[in-house]
Amino acid sequence: MKPVVELASVDKDYPLGKVTVKALRNVDLTFYRGEFTTVAGPSGSGKTTLLNLVGCIDVPTSGEVRVDGQLTSELGDRDLTRLRLEKLGFIFQAFNLIAALDLYQNVEFPLLLQGGMTRKERRTRVLEMIERVDLTPQLRQRPNELSGGQRQRVAIARALVTRPRIVLADEPTANLDSETGRTIIDLMKEINEDQETTFIFSTHDPMVIERAGRIVHLRDGQLVDEDTNSDSGDARGAP
Amino acid sequence: MNSINRFLIIVRIAARNLVQAPRRTLWLALAIAMVTALLVLFQGISEGTRGHLLRSATTLSAGHVNVSGFYKTTPTDVTPLIEDGARARRIVEENTTGAVQIVDRQRGFASLITAGATMQAGVAGVDIEDETILADVLQLAEESEYVDDGRQEVVGDIQGLSRPNTAVIFAGQARRLDARVGDTITLRTQTFRGQANTVDVTVVAVAQDIGLLSNFAIFVPSRVVLDLYDLSDQTTGALLIYLEDIDRSEEVMDTLRAAFLSEDYTLLEHQPEPFFAKFETVSGEDWTGQRLDLTTWEDEISFLTWIVTALDTIAFLLIGILAIIIAVGMMNTMWISVRERTPELGTVRAIGMTRTGVLLLFAVEAFLLGLAASLAGAALGTAVAAAITAAQIPIPSDAVRAILLNDIFVLVVGLKQVLGAVIAMTLVMGLAAFFPAWRASRMQPVEAIHR
Ligand SMILES: Nc1ncnc2c1ncn2[C@@H]1O[C@H](COP(=O)(O)OP(=O)(O)OP(=O)(O)O)[C@@H](O)[C@H]1O
Ligand SMILES: [Mg+2]
Repeated sequence: MKPVVELASVDKDYPLGKVTVKALRNVDLTFYRGEFTTVAGPSGSGKTTLLNLVGCIDVPTSGEVRVDGQLTSELGDRDLTRLRLEKLGFIFQAFNLIAALDLYQNVEFPLLLQGGMTRKERRTRVLEMIERVDLTPQLRQRPNELSGGQRQRVAIARALVTRPRIVLADEPTANLDSETGRTIIDLMKEINEDQETTFIFSTHDPMVIERAGRIVHLRDGQLVDEDTNSDSGDARGAP
Repeated sequence: MNSINRFLIIVRIAARNLVQAPRRTLWLALAIAMVTALLVLFQGISEGTRGHLLRSATTLSAGHVNVSGFYKTTPTDVTPLIEDGARARRIVEENTTGAVQIVDRQRGFASLITAGATMQAGVAGVDIEDETILADVLQLAEESEYVDDGRQEVVGDIQGLSRPNTAVIFAGQARRLDARVGDTITLRTQTFRGQANTVDVTVVAVAQDIGLLSNFAIFVPSRVVLDLYDLSDQTTGALLIYLEDIDRSEEVMDTLRAAFLSEDYTLLEHQPEPFFAKFETVSGEDWTGQRLDLTTWEDEISFLTWIVTALDTIAFLLIGILAIIIAVGMMNTMWISVRERTPELGTVRAIGMTRTGVLLLFAVEAFLLGLAASLAGAALGTAVAAAITAAQIPIPSDAVRAILLNDIFVLVVGLKQVLGAVIAMTLVMGLAAFFPAWRASRMQPVEAIHR
């Protein structure tokens, strides 16, 4: 099994007035290629913090984070930006779509930032991705003209369109009804199996936990427990 | 192709951001447009005055380049003339390129005397057949402009100067001297040897005033000046050279200086002063014989250019202060706009937009607003300037009339002024937006998202 994300003795403190909130404490954790992992835990346990560190949009107070073999503390802003753009896909809890752009343009955006594709290639890729999240009829709608579930799917399409190694999803079902939530998780699962993409979720949703290949439990910023779901499995090659 | 697409996306986001806060955008655009319009108007006044100065100077007393001479029989006895006018003229003709017209002018200074009044004026002796530019530029005044019961029509003709002992005067002078076409004026002067001398001339035409300067000049045939000063036919006062391209004045003057030097003439040091201001210096110097002096039109009106400089300075200060206020407003607006959009910036940074990209986003936003608003402002300013000029609004105060050397407001707005104003305002906006944008681009993506 090939490790894609490694956390070693990671601490994350947030200064809050005179006290310090210890959001993560001494976390050692490795994610492998093709895994479909859920980070579970009660509110405030540090799930989002963990995803942010893996997603290279925040830095640990101490300890090391390696993404695709690169030690993030050794990378400058330019390289970190490149890493996020090339290797990571982030699905935010609040979707975070760009209001100025329509559905198609939102999905196209990371490809434009990457460059290196012809217009035609880009178009094919974007339309394929949109088809996959079943939003082809809404192609030219802006985010404020879409429902919550539709926006979530746009966010997924945007995160996946670059075919990143690692997809991070922060509570991807929290804003959805259970039916939509299930469809979306199944979609991600499909992509996980197709492309050996590594998925890391945070969630409290039992439906999601049930579908994960591996479950990491956090409590008060510490890793407390770990399970594997033998019945649902994930895209890792069998050991 | 790709970078164009990327840039278009940035433009789209920037434009959308402007549209999403219409009130803020409109206020700012209005302010920018107003300042730009003022900038254009101020420059229009300054440019109008400059143009007017140039026109009056080059009509009344100077060519684009001028060759004049001082002759001294003793160190203190100064006569303003070129001894051998024909030779000087030949040298000028052989060494000047791009000349439209080269004319001889006799120069003098006399009291103008009528039954009713006396006034002083410079007397320009011209050969009207040669002076096609002068004949073109001088507009004759209707008689009613200078005589209370005058007819509302032009009386007389500039070409009358081809007859001996004639004069063309300006409307302001005609009013003060109570003279009209056909009347006689006595010119009295002292010859350069000290005798008093008079010549009677008949007014053959009255020209419209050209601002303040025209109070101090009249035109007579060359012969009148020669007679007044008892000078030989061989002499000339000055050679006035009119060029196709006025911007070449300096260059032509330099060429002519070299040419006269190589013909063994002695030249005065170049001083950016009008001809009449040099008498005192020259009479204080210890030499005799002929020396030539070469000037450009700018030198000849240098005693008036302070006006344009002062206008420019006032305009610059006023606009500078306004621009700073606007820039502060712009910066403030940018701060607000950055704060509102911080989560979105965090998102695009998280997806993989570089810091430079974020900077560019704001730069484009400021640029779009600055450009659109200043273009509108410049258009407004130009329209207002044109309207003011067309309406021929009289300048109400004597002091302002004297400063602007004109009786009506004339604003000249050229492409240069418009472009200058638009570029300046757009740059100021870009600079004002830079700091907030820079701050935004430095933020950790996660901080930005959860702001
Ligand atoms: N920017 C911040 N400043 C201060 N404290 C923070 C900040 N972000 C998170 N924290 C604190 O760190 C701890 C972990 O927060 P985190 O957001 O990672 O929890 P979470 O598991 O994602 O919770 P939830 O399920 O509610 O989203 C919490 O105690 C939180 O209050
Ligand atoms: Mg969270």
